[in-house]
Amino acid sequence: MKLLEFLDVEVAYGAIVALQGVSFQVEEGEIVTLLGANGAGKSTTLRTISGLLPLRRGEVRLGGVDLRKLPAHEIVARGIAHVPEGRGIFANLTVQENLELATWTRKDKAQVAADFRYVYELFPRLGERRRQLGGTLSGGEQQMLAVARALMTRGRVMLLDEPSMGLSPLLVKEIFRTIGEINARGTTILLVEQNAHMALKIAHRGYVLETGRVVLAGTAAELAADPRVKEAYLGG
Amino acid sequence: MYTVIIQQALNALQLGAIYALIALGYSMVYGIIRLINFAHGDIFMVGAYIGLGVALFLKPPFLVLVLVTMGLTALLGVTIERVAYRRLRHAQRMSAVITALGVGIFLENFVRAAISANPQAYPVLIAPRTLSLSGVSTTNVQLMVIGVSIALMLVLRYIIRQTMLGKAMRAVSDNKEVVPLMGINLNLIVSATFALGSALAAAGGIFYGQAYPMIDPYMGIVIGWKAFISAVMGGIGQVDGAMLGGFILGTVEVIGATFRSTLRDGIAFAILILVLLIKPTGLLGRPVTKKV
Ligand SMILES: Nc1ncnc2c1ncn2[C@@H]1O[C@H](COP(=O)(O)OP(=O)(O)OP(=O)(O)O)[C@@H](O)[C@H]1O
Ligand SMILES: [Mg+2]
Repeated sequence: MKLLEFLDVEVAYGAIVALQGVSFQVEEGEIVTLLGANGAGKSTTLRTISGLLPLRRGEVRLGGVDLRKLPAHEIVARGIAHVPEGRGIFANLTVQENLELATWTRKDKAQVAADFRYVYELFPRLGERRRQLGGTLSGGEQQMLAVARALMTRGRVMLLDEPSMGLSPLLVKEIFRTIGEINARGTTILLVEQNAHMALKIAHRGYVLETGRVVLAGTAAELAADPRVKEAYLGG
Repeated sequence: MYTVIIQQALNALQLGAIYALIALGYSMVYGIIRLINFAHGDIFMVGAYIGLGVALFLKPPFLVLVLVTMGLTALLGVTIERVAYRRLRHAQRMSAVITALGVGIFLENFVRAAISANPQAYPVLIAPRTLSLSGVSTTNVQLMVIGVSIALMLVLRYIIRQTMLGKAMRAVSDNKEVVPLMGINLNLIVSATFALGSALAAAGGIFYGQAYPMIDPYMGIVIGWKAFISAVMGGIGQVDGAMLGGFILGTVEVIGATFRSTLRDGIAFAILILVLLIKPTGLLGRPVTKKV
């Protein structure tokens, strides 16, 4: 079943057209990756889905529901969980408070309590630091917190914007393992990455963006074998 | 000698509490949208007039009067943000500052036209009684102003530290762009901040009217500046800083006035400059750090 649809979307920052008719879709349960060089429009795509940027043209649907007219905070309640580029941790709030805020729209108290236990189990390091301020965490811990926070919104689709950025190879492995685990528990994933090697390892399918257009699409295996992808994103 | 000190300390607490109540609004609004709301001193002034109106027409018990006035003034603050500031949130900083100055001038002239430019005597809300305790003489009004102000500040502190609204306010202050991704309506948090700040200023307005019993349409200018100084001195954006700054300024002014009353207003600015020279972010201000 098509869960997330992005149809012929055009988005501009003033005169700069960042997305020039981008289309892709994500099926329920999939991990789909968006690859592309700096400035290709990957973050713009995620920000558009979350309602942070207006569309000039095109459609965005989640489970058939038109997201275009909804303000960003309502889109979260509809089921989009967004881990933003650069993590976006609330530096002067504790780990626990960061997570609590992500439950703002939720009324299912018992399930929220269960989700707290789940994320602290998934990331024991966060559990140990629950009273520590977000800003005092290491880069890797902040990335875990950003993912944990997105989990606490209970989205159906998790958008991840370069979760491996700035992390050591060991932590990159750990974060990707966690993404796989989250997906295995039923969350659909749209993963933006510069680390195409790792992304294509866990993704089912992928799209390659170049200056605001989709230039390649296929299964992860097809993309990994494509000479253009090898040349540009997998280091030859 | 020590009775004089205690008496002056009470005077300092009373003045400081009023500065602190107003300073909180400057600090909270700056904290979340980085706007110096120059109309805030005038919101304090309108709050005092609303209190006067409520007292004359409804004659409620004192605490009810305070709460009703706080509620009405909160609505005024929310309306000002909605009508005047919201669409400028992404405009240049200067546009919003000029707009705030304009809103302040509008409020002053509105009150002047609707009521009078002349000072009004504030109605007596609590029958004043002089209390004398082992040589220290004070009034029930003074003790009430200090007590209720501190209670209100403790409530605010609780809201900001413990409640979801307070956490959201701190989150907006940290990283406004990410707040909607938590499912939080940013505008709602901004409105709530204006409501809280305006309500506290209104309480300050009533207390000012009770303690120094005249009000006029321009009273918000000088007192607003001093409250602003208190907020900056304490570290603008910091709630505890605003309270500390208010009480320090109140104390300094009371001490200064015992020596030479004409120096009172100059002292406030001198202290501010001194504090900022030593600690540019204010007493409790966090050092400015670049995000990594
Ligand atoms: N706020 C902005 N104002 C103007 N132009 C912008 C803005 N944000 C992005 N752009 C432009 O839009 C294009 C796409 O940017 P985007 O951030 O989506 O790229 P990206 O694929 O996420 O790149 P990166 O891998 O570097 O994060 C770029 O040309 C960029 O310069
Ligand atoms: Mg990006």
